[in-house]
Amino acid sequence: MRITRIARQGARSMGAHKLRSFFMMLGTLIGVAAMVVVMAAGAGAKANVMSRVAGFGSGALMVNAGGGRGHSMPQEGVVTLTPQDADAIRAQVRGVDIAASQAVKRGASIKAGSAQAFGTVLGVEPSWHAAWDWPVERGRAISEEDMLTMARVCVIGATIERDLFGGLDPIGQTLQLDNVRCQVVGVLAVRGTSPMGGDMDNRVVIPLTTALRRVFNQEHLASIRVKLSDPRRSQATADEIQALLHERHHITPPAEDDFAIVSETDVTQAVSGIEGTLTRLLTALAGLSLLVGGMVLMNILLLSVNERRKEIGLRRALGARERDVLHQFLAESLAITLLGMLLGTAFGWAVALGLGATIGMPVALTWAPVAIGAAAALAVGLGFGIQPARRAARLDPIKALA
Amino acid sequence: MIEFDRVSKTYGEGAGQVRALQDVSFSVAAGEYVAIMGASGTGKSTLMHLLGGLDTPSAGVYRLDGVDVAGLNDDGLSALRNRKIGFVFQQFHLLERTTALQNVLLPLIYADDYPADAEARGRRVLEAVGLGDRMDHRPNELSGGQQQRVAVARALINDPALLLADEPTGNLDRQSGLQLLSVFKRLHQQGRTIIVVTHDEQVAEHADRIRVLRDGRIADDRRVPEPRDADAGLETLAASEGAAGAQQPEAEVVP
Repeated sequence: MRITRIARQGARSMGAHKLRSFFMMLGTLIGVAAMVVVMAAGAGAKANVMSRVAGFGSGALMVNAGGGRGHSMPQEGVVTLTPQDADAIRAQVRGVDIAASQAVKRGASIKAGSAQAFGTVLGVEPSWHAAWDWPVERGRAISEEDMLTMARVCVIGATIERDLFGGLDPIGQTLQLDNVRCQVVGVLAVRGTSPMGGDMDNRVVIPLTTALRRVFNQEHLASIRVKLSDPRRSQATADEIQALLHERHHITPPAEDDFAIVSETDVTQAVSGIEGTLTRLLTALAGLSLLVGGMVLMNILLLSVNERRKEIGLRRALGARERDVLHQFLAESLAITLLGMLLGTAFGWAVALGLGATIGMPVALTWAPVAIGAAAALAVGLGFGIQPARRAARLDPIKALA
Repeated sequence: MIEFDRVSKTYGEGAGQVRALQDVSFSVAAGEYVAIMGASGTGKSTLMHLLGGLDTPSAGVYRLDGVDVAGLNDDGLSALRNRKIGFVFQQFHLLERTTALQNVLLPLIYADDYPADAEARGRRVLEAVGLGDRMDHRPNELSGGQQQRVAVARALINDPALLLADEPTGNLDRQSGLQLLSVFKRLHQQGRTIIVVTHDEQVAEHADRIRVLRDGRIADDRRVPEPRDADAGLETLAASEGAAGAQQPEAEVVP
């Protein structure tokens, strides 16, 4: 076909002027590479958030000690949330299936013989296992009897088990929390990573009463986990809990709450909101790079049309029609942007994988940026190539040859 | 074959109007070898552009191989140049960084049907101009004379009705010029129609017939009773250079 022969002439001209072509494709290359990296990071972050949010559990609310919206973590040092608040929620709020209190100490030192580990100590009620859908894998869970007797027993996570007992069966062994000795009665199911990225298997779970009286020596809770009987009433239940706690804590808006109610949607929004903004910003930068690259491409092509007047005149004399010249120049600019797109995609993937491997950034390679990159390359190649191509096609062959 | 009937060409409009050609009439039969002579500013270039289908007459009729060129639009002119005319320019106009063979095949790209035997044809015409061993050389690896012969091969690839050369020896030394004219002579003997546009009488005298342009009109039209023989010219040149070679080369006299 005539058009394919002519397109090949355009592509060949790209190969014959490697340095010039490289500068022409640089903008597309960088733009597409940036987009690939940003989208890989975005997709990686999204997948990460989704898997972490799945761990939060649906149809659940968290009442955290400490005020402010968007907090998905309890604030330490806030002492106003108490087991009596949990009792009140259980008794007075409709649609509450479980309300499980939890007292927390992070970064606690945990010892067994000469082995030491650091982890999070949780004081919990027996309903905690159900509230978090977090059963024991081996041994038994925290029981009502443990609560009543302030038993010195604990259930440990997989990380603690590994760090303190190695390959030995931990059940029946003793470990030491500060100066309180606890017997291991069970091992929790493996949970992985939390919505905020922490290890969830470094837990030592003890009865709430034991925690408050014997270990932490405190009266307050870090959070109350509320499991709803009807997940669709999440917002209404949250409102009722808020009203109840306002009353119990003597808070009158606009005074700030000393607690925060967090739902699954809040967690998703908090995490993906930040990353979404960042992704949009970086994508806009990638777009800008494509635009600047397109301008550079157009200007170099315009210069090259002037430089190649004789070639154009010759081709016209040998029988090229105006549109043949137009097609040749468009083919050249398209070949450049499409090659730039391919190299940019490869480069972007390499950078994304490199970032994933070196700084542990979660990345997910998807085909979306390839499709968008191809469309962008086409648009830049045609959009910025058309004017130089027109100028080349409209050259008067007599003047061009002179 | 070629018929110019009262062809005029004017540029510009109104008071600034320039008449480059006025009522020029002549014809060239198939197989003729014609030189068109004239000093610069006599309408020589204009005539060459009209003959080559790069431009159309303002008035009059130009027929090439039965086609009325005046009635063609740009696409028609492009097709005419592609099929019926083989150009040889003073400046060679070869594509850089492109082999001799690829340069020769360039016109076929713009043909409606790319021949299956294109490469074989390209090799044949390059052999015909004595460059069988230079097919894969790029223009910067060839001498001026060789480059111009690549251009001739390119002009012949489409088997054109007319070989149109514009000052073909203008950028060549004497020997290369004679070699080129020797190629033209052989093409003429094979029945090619050739028009050479030149200001150089010695070049013109290799043709059968000379037409002289003056002030946009044909001032003289004569047959050359005994056209110069390029091959004989080359022999004479070789003999004189051989003699000169015995003496001190001129360049070495200068300290």
